Order: sequence, then structure tokens, then C-alpha cells
Amino acid sequence: MRRAGWMVAVLLLAGCGIEPTGVTDGGDAPTGVAPGMTLYFVDGTGALVAQQPDTDRLGTISDAVSLLLASSGTPQRRTEIADVGVTRVGVIVAGDVIELRVPLAGRDVTARGIDQIVCTAIAAHVQSGGSLRSTVRIIFTVAEPAADRARTCPVIG
Amino acid sequence: MRLVVAFALVAALSVVVTAWASAQSARAALVASAQQQLVRGVAEQIGATAPTLTYPPAQDSLDRLRAAVGANTVVVYRSLRSSAGDGPGLITAELRGAVAARERLVTQRIVAGDRPWLLIGTPVMITAPDGARSASGIQVYAARDLTAVDRQVDRLVRSTLGTAALALALAVLLALVAAGSVLRPVAKLRDTARRLADGDLGARTPPRGADELAELTVTVNEMAASVQTSMATMHRMQTEARRFAADVSHELRTPLSTLTAVVEVLGDAADAMDADARESVTLAIMETNRLVALVEDLMEVSRFDAGTAGLRREVIDLPSVVHGTLRARGWLHRVTVSAPDRLEARLDPRRLDVIVANLVGNALRHGAPPVRVSVSATAAEVLIEVTDGGPGLRPEALRHVFDRFWKADAARTRTPGSGLGLALARENARLHGGDLTAGNTGTAGARFVAALPTGSEQG
Repeated sequence: MRRAGWMVAVLLLAGCGIEPTGVTDGGDAPTGVAPGMTLYFVDGTGALVAQQPDTDRLGTISDAVSLLLASSGTPQRRTEIADVGVTRVGVIVAGDVIELRVPLAGRDVTARGIDQIVCTAIAAHVQSGGSLRSTVRIIFTVAEPAADRARTCPVIG
Repeated sequence: MRLVVAFALVAALSVVVTAWASAQSARAALVASAQQQLVRGVAEQIGATAPTLTYPPAQDSLDRLRAAVGANTVVVYRSLRSSAGDGPGLITAELRGAVAARERLVTQRIVAGDRPWLLIGTPVMITAPDGARSASGIQVYAARDLTAVDRQVDRLVRSTLGTAALALALAVLLALVAAGSVLRPVAKLRDTARRLADGDLGARTPPRGADELAELTVTVNEMAASVQTSMATMHRMQTEARRFAADVSHELRTPLSTLTAVVEVLGDAADAMDADARESVTLAIMETNRLVALVEDLMEVSRFDAGTAGLRREVIDLPSVVHGTLRARGWLHRVTVSAPDRLEARLDPRRLDVIVANLVGNALRHGAPPVRVSVSATAAEVLIEVTDGGPGLRPEALRHVFDRFWKADAARTRTPGSGLGLALARENARLHGGDLTAGNTGTAGARFVAALPTGSEQG
């Protein structure tokens, strides 16, 4: 009986305070640094190609899409988004769904142009630590039938 | 008592172990949640700031990241380094190695300067648009003080101990009550058993409840009842047997007195008869006298059994009573008497005569000469010792010599004695408050000692 008493006392004492530990895993490391953002253009064959303009930092989804809207492209990398002179983009990220409010009407972009916007947004999201399975909903200034469905990028994920 | 202690110990142990286990799990949960919160805070701060940093980073970028993560933080990139607070000094080589090798966020708990710290180390990663990750070369180390958590744990343990102490007292109290409820009926049953053993056959314990203890109580009561019934039956049978003996002897007395008178008349006429007839008459007279003696002894025994035998003490001179007894039976020349000249005692002379006559008669009949009677006295009692020169009493005889109608030699069934003499002698001695004991002398003869209180203080 006395031995049991000692055991209980020792266990009780051992239970007090916070004791040191070894190195333990704490999960995925944070991410988000990049030499620049990734924008998507259309090459001569009509395929999407990524381009990394020298912006020094990754920036936000909004930054990336705004830069895409402002870019007129090069002879080899053209854009299929009409230049409307306004580049302000509203972004709401809820879990894996990115909602983009673009200053464009549905008729200002082709299907390929929409892919450009979707891929650019997803790339920025993934590079700052988001999921590859993310989807994008684009809200145009003039609503088109079924325009705000969830879209995915054909070259990512 | 052992039961009570065992109950209390078990209760105490379970309370302590339960308290300890709950304190342990609560402590672990508390520390884990605090740690998780700190880690998530650091990771979120880095994740939120990283996209705004230029890459490759300049010193001001590292400073901004460090400021975002908080105090006690160091941020390194190749040869660049931004640090603040105590954090940098606490980072272990172990943690640095793990950050470089695993490319994951890692933590370590240490105690420095009596304070517990959580160290968090992580590389900042570059993720390609296709999800591929690579190290950026930026590493963030942060130290977080866990003293507040430690205090919280201490409070928790203290409150648990307090609760346990309270529960312990309650548990011991409950154990005492429970043990008492078991032990009280046991004690009652023990008292009843003791009263039964002391002869109080009417003792019972009322059974309470419906447990094993109640069953035991019922069984004990049944046992007591059956013992009581048997004892009563036995007592009744004994009484009836005694009354029967008394009735028989009483009924025999009247025809016997007639028979005695007739035989005496016959005896007076015997001289005129021829030899054969005279022998028959002599035999008849002898057997009739023996029958009278037997009936008288039986009636005396009946009186003792019925408790109606009275004691009439008077002051007598013991040696002269003994002499008188011997003289009356014509034994003076066959017995040696050694007695003081005078020895006064308050005894019943008639019963003393019965004792001496029976002892001496027995010695003369069954023992061998010389038969001695010695009378002596101590402060409280007088001793009458009768010895003979015969073979003495066998161990079997010693046990039964005072039994009624017991014969030392089973083959010798017809002796002049009634078979009640020694039994009567002992009853008489006991009536005086004394006793009669049988034994052997050193030289192998039988030896009977009657020890009688002098009765000087009694009426």
C-alpha cells in the first residue's frame, strides 16, 4: 500500500508544469514569396502561356488580375481581353472559391480571355499558399446567362 | 475495522487516480491548444506578409517580415539577418537543423531562465503556379513565452487537487457509512451468538433487509429456535423420568411395609422350621430388607432431584458423630479412625451420617482391610477421608464411581449395596456446599475425600 502511495505522489509531481520537448513537426511551412507574379497570355496557336513580368514580389490576386487587364501583350503573347481603360478588380476569397468582380462586360472578353483571367487568379492564389483545386467565379458588369458559374483553369490543377 | 480501512483506501486511491488522470489530460489539452494557437499566429502572419515582400529580399523586407511576426523573432536570408528581443539567443541548433532538413514548420519546447518557451522555426517557401514548392532561403525563428500557460496549468492542477481533497473526504465518509452499515448487523449477530452461548436460548436478532447478512440472521434464529426446542424436550423428559422414579418408590413403600411386617412374623417363627425352610425365610428377610433400603435410597435421590432435600445444620462434634455412625453399624472393630479429640462444625448430622456410612460401607464391601477414616480441618472446611488397602479404582471406575447403579464389576450384579450409595453421599456433600472426590492412595488403595465447609457463617 505504501508503494502505491509513493507511485501516486511521484506521478502527481511529474504532472506539474511544462516540461521541455524535442523538435516536433508543426505543419506546412508558410509560403508566398516570389520574384514576380504569373500572368497568362495567348500565343499564336491560341494556347495559354504563362509569363512572369519582373514585379519583384508576388502581390495579391487583385494585383495580378489588374496587371493582366492593363497589359496589352506583345506580338507573340497577345491578350484576348478588350482594353476598357479601367483595371480595378474586386476579389473575395471564401475557402477554395475566388470571386472576381471585373470592370468588363461579358462581350469584352472571349472564352480564351476568361481563361486568362481565371488562370492568372488561380496562379496568384496557389503561389500565396492556396489550393490547386480552387475555382473562380467572374462577375461581369453586364450579366450574361450562366456567366457567374465556377470556372477552372485548363492549364493548372 | 479492516473492512473500513480497505473501503477508505480504495475510495481514496480511485479519487486520486481520477483527479490525476483528468488533470493530466486537461493539462495536455491546454498546452496543445495554446501551442497550436501560437504556431498558427506565426504562420498566418508570415503567409499574409510574404506576397508583399520583394524577392530576393533586401534588409528592409526582412525587417518588415520580422515586425509582422512580432517580438522575439529573427529572420535570416543568406547573410542578411533581422532580429529583435530575446528570441535569437534561445534558438537551438537542433531547431535550425530541423528547419533546414525538413523544409517544414517545426516547434520545440525549452525552459530558459526558469521560464518555459515555445520555439517556432520555419522556412518561407516559393510555390510555383503548378503547386511545386521550393525553399526561398528565408527562415523565420520565433520564441513565444509560455509562462501564462504554465500558470494556467498550475491553477488547473491546484483546483484539481482541491477538488480531489474534497472528494477524498466525502469518499472516506461514504466508506465509513457503508462499512458501518455492513458491520453493525454483524456486531448484533455476534452479541446474539454470545448470549446463546451463555445459555440465553431466547436470544434472537430481528433480520433486516434482504441481503446475505439477513439470510444468515434468519438461519441463526432458526438454529437457536431448534436448540431451544430440543433443550425443552430433553428437560421435560428428564423431569418425567424423575417423577416416575419418585412415584414408583413412593407406591412401593406401602406394600413393602406390609411385606416387612409379614417377613418379621415369619422370622420369629423360623426357629420352629426345618433347615431348608429356615434358609428360605432368612433369604426372604435379607432381600426384603435390601428392597426397603433400595426404596428408601430411591426416595432420597428423588428428593435431591426434585430439589426438596432440606439441610438442617446444627453445631456438632465431628469425631463423635463419626464414631456414632460406625458404632451403630457395628463397624468399630473393622475400621481405624484417626481424628482430633474435638472438632466442632455446623453440619446436618443425619446427612453426615449418610456420607460416612456410605463411604465406609463401600470400602468394606469392595475394598480390602485396613479401612481407615481420618478427620481433619482447614480454616474453611472439614475433610473426611476414607481409604482402604484394596487394589484401588481403575481409571474407568474413577469416571463412573458416582453414577447411579454403576457397578465396578459388571459380572458381580448381586451385591448388598443399592448402587445409589456413593451418588447419595456426593449429593449430600454438595448440599452442604462441599464436594466428594474419588482417587487412589499412593499405595494403590481407593481414597474418597469429602470436603465440607464448616458453615460457621451460615444458618
